[in-house]
Amino acid sequence: MNDNQSSGVELKNVVMKFGEHTVLHNIDLIIQPGSLTTLLGPSGCGKTTILRLIAGLELPTSGQVFLGDEDVSVLSASQRDVGMVFQSYALFPHMTVGENVGYGLKMMGIVPNERTERIKESLDSVGLDGYQSRFIDQLSGGQQQRVALARALVLKPKVMLFDEPLSNLDSKLRRQMREDIRRLQQELAVTAVYVTHDQDEALAVSDEVVVMKEGGIAQQGSPKHLYLNPDSKFVATFMGDANIVEGEVSNVGGESKIKIGDIEIAADSSEHYADGKTQIAIRPEALSLIRSTTEPSLQGKVLSRAYIGASTEYRVKVNGNELFLISPTGSEEFEIGDEVHVLITPPGISPIPD
Amino acid sequence: MKLASALMAFDARIKWIIIGLIGWVLFPWKGLEYGIFESTQSEIFEAYAWQGVNTSLISLFSLITLWIRPWRSLSKALLIDAIISIGTFIVVLLTANYAKESLGYGSAIQLIVLLGIFSLTLARMGFVQGDPYMTTAIVFVMASIVVFVLFPILIIFSKVIIAEDGTFTPYLFFQNVTGFGVFRTLKNSLVMALLVGALATFFGLSFAIFTVRVTKRFSGLTRIFSMLPIITPPFVIGLSLILIFGRNGTINDGLIFLFGDGGLFTGEQGWFERSPYIYGFWGILLAQTLSFTPICYMLLVGMVSTINPAVEEASVTMRATPTQTFLQVTLPLLRPGIANAYLLGVISSLADFGNPIVLGGDYDVLATEIYFSIVGAQLDYPRAATLGILLLSFSLLSFTIQRRWIGKKSYVTVTGKGSGGFFQPLPRWVRIGATTVTLTWMFFTAVLYSSILLGGFVENWGADYTPTLAHYEELWARGMDYGAWPSFITTLQFSAVGAPLTALMGLMIAYITTRRQFVGRKMVDFSAMISFAIPGTVIGISYVLAFNTAPILLNGTAIIIIISFIFKNMPVGIRGGISALSQIDRSLEEASLTQRATSIRTIFTIVLPLLRPALISAIVFSFVKSMTTVSAIIFLVTADTQVATTYILGRVEDGDYGPAISYGSVLIVTMLIVILAVDKFIGRSRIERGQAPG
Repeated sequence: MNDNQSSGVELKNVVMKFGEHTVLHNIDLIIQPGSLTTLLGPSGCGKTTILRLIAGLELPTSGQVFLGDEDVSVLSASQRDVGMVFQSYALFPHMTVGENVGYGLKMMGIVPNERTERIKESLDSVGLDGYQSRFIDQLSGGQQQRVALARALVLKPKVMLFDEPLSNLDSKLRRQMREDIRRLQQELAVTAVYVTHDQDEALAVSDEVVVMKEGGIAQQGSPKHLYLNPDSKFVATFMGDANIVEGEVSNVGGESKIKIGDIEIAADSSEHYADGKTQIAIRPEALSLIRSTTEPSLQGKVLSRAYIGASTEYRVKVNGNELFLISPTGSEEFEIGDEVHVLITPPGISPIPD
Repeated sequence: MKLASALMAFDARIKWIIIGLIGWVLFPWKGLEYGIFESTQSEIFEAYAWQGVNTSLISLFSLITLWIRPWRSLSKALLIDAIISIGTFIVVLLTANYAKESLGYGSAIQLIVLLGIFSLTLARMGFVQGDPYMTTAIVFVMASIVVFVLFPILIIFSKVIIAEDGTFTPYLFFQNVTGFGVFRTLKNSLVMALLVGALATFFGLSFAIFTVRVTKRFSGLTRIFSMLPIITPPFVIGLSLILIFGRNGTINDGLIFLFGDGGLFTGEQGWFERSPYIYGFWGILLAQTLSFTPICYMLLVGMVSTINPAVEEASVTMRATPTQTFLQVTLPLLRPGIANAYLLGVISSLADFGNPIVLGGDYDVLATEIYFSIVGAQLDYPRAATLGILLLSFSLLSFTIQRRWIGKKSYVTVTGKGSGGFFQPLPRWVRIGATTVTLTWMFFTAVLYSSILLGGFVENWGADYTPTLAHYEELWARGMDYGAWPSFITTLQFSAVGAPLTALMGLMIAYITTRRQFVGRKMVDFSAMISFAIPGTVIGISYVLAFNTAPILLNGTAIIIIISFIFKNMPVGIRGGISALSQIDRSLEEASLTQRATSIRTIFTIVLPLLRPALISAIVFSFVKSMTTVSAIIFLVTADTQVATTYILGRVEDGDYGPAISYGSVLIVTMLIVILAVDKFIGRSRIERGQAPG
């Protein structure tokens, strides 16, 4: 099945308006061929609209959409070479599993023999060969999800689109399915665009994550990069927990230093930050507690603690700020009211200029 | 065959043009006074487009230029196409109107072709995401709405502000409104509507409480209630009331027997005389309340059964007595439903024509006065139009209130999720009250319907109760050209032709208004709303006024009757379509599109199969409703197009209750058979689970 026919996706200056309401402002986005790129953001940020624009289910108010080198801006969905997996799966209830998977092949005029062969192949890839004659309502939610996946794959599209595909599954199944989707995507080396509002899901499956906010792109990068080096408060707090504190950046001899209180830390060398006072986002994992130390540290007092099994969460009052941190089970424990020192250890410390 | 495949190779625009040219040559351009089957050859011959210099040349010229498209290299070529096609359409209509020439089959084909080309051009210009099929569907729906809904209404209004000689006289309307009897008629209608609304709501609520909360033993009642208003021709309740309460009715007979002259309990001089008390106010009130209670019930029963039991449990845990819970929690929760049912009762009463026409007596209401203004020697069109406007305004007003204000307010959840808990027992007085009311009503209804069924089998109800088959013999046994057969067959034909068209039109409107974004959607929405609220009588009078003259002369034809069926019963299809579509996840269509299916194939392979139950039931209901329609078509029928309802009404007017009743019961039984047969058929369909999984 691996024809290596996947192509990249590009949006150029795309604006989308519904009536007076602007849903997307001047989006420029490049998605690399063969990558899995996640569009992540709160509801209403425009991520699903981008997916629908790529699919051709909406046409942009202005701007262009490219699949590979081809400008598809005015082509309808049925003329574009994409496969889509819907949030509701959108399986046709009046057709069998086989008919659902073979629907697009039939529309393309593929002869019945080849159709049967390709339906089998596609269902096999999701582990459902033999289910051809079942009706949709005889399947479990997870199986329906797989049929939807098989139906999108069977056409060997250049681009696969996933619209929150796992949101109707329970958490165990979700983990399993996202691994399967990732595996299939890599096996087929197909370009995939994946919409979700769940940051864990985004971090787990993606090559690249595009964080969206209010119809614009807030930040784009690899999952690790976005987690460790958010460049805005929005991205820092949307992707996991972050402590926002005051700090100062200084560049000395090509190296950026970040100063928080009395502590000075080397910034991530791959980034460049402008000099001056700014806010700093610190991941809870970058903070640790210790009763006494000679290293540079912040002094504080434990406000609250919550034991949650694998770790213990603390809130510590430092210079009028509250810091949130997570301490793995097995490390030293503290009581509410204890005087403590807070150590800051990279990575996970990032200036957020806005 | 070669020719056919050569034709298929042309693009859609050229195909339209070829159809137009063929139509121009083969079909009579002008309307034929006696229809295509009754006209002589020379009459038909003279009506052809190529018989002389006339409007048809404009259309011919446009089609030819649209084929050649000398402007094709211009950047605005599409715009020119659009302007020429729609412009010619308008010019043809206007010149025909100006020349007082009625349009015939040829010109109808021409107009359709021009619209078709216009649609394709619009699609190419990006209308409805450039989808030519959807664009064509939308343009044709909009055009037919303009011609058969908006234009007739406009004509009614024009009749009351433009005098006979064509001068603009806005004060004419006021003259008419303040004219003799108009105010009284309006007052009568409104008083009746407000009372009927209240009574029907009260009874409907009692029945709803009874069937949901008192006992489940009568669950069949819901089914019966939902069927009664559909299968009962609108004047049948009135008719049966005459049998029971009329001057010669059962009650009067009984009273005379007991208390009349020489009665059982009285001497020579009785205390009681036969009285026509049922004619007039009380008769209409009773008949309409009986007719519309099932409608209110259907609306309320849904609300009563979706009340969350937990709120009543909460009330009880806070020390409220059953009566307090009922009055403070249950009833207030039903308030929107009650208001809704009330307005529905009001609208139904305003629009009702059948009951007042048989029972009205001296109590004149708008619906019937419109009719009386133009029958016989009266022919007072301005007065009829004035009454029509009043009727339309008040029913639109009630409908708007219902939709805008109450329609959106609902305290009950309809998520369908079981919220658990059990209903608290209702207070004793509510249970006893609801039971008493329901059982009494059931008994009364049973008596009425049996009088309808039995009434046809006696010589002369009230005077001579000898069993006889004479009425049936007269109606059905004298050959196909006599008695009831001609009107019965006409009814079946018209309904059979109209029903699929009605259903299709309704579903199409439902589809394009809920699923598509396009310029003019508001107009379609608005017209759909008008069609919900417009009383049949107003459709009737507006069609009489609009289609009695050139350019669209349709009166006296079967076409106008079928069209009136379509637009009168369209709401059935729209409602059914909207609720069925809301069950079909939009992403199913989108999935089909991303699977390389075009929009038209998506409609045929996904939407229509899933809509099949809705389509079938819309066809059945419009069939049945067409069979019972009287108000709209009583204005439009001629001796040739007599239908069952108008035939029966004619017999009632002559006082022939026997045949009228027997015919009525045959209608009821026919419709019952149709509904039950189709119900069984749909019940087996596996597609009924038309929901997207997940």
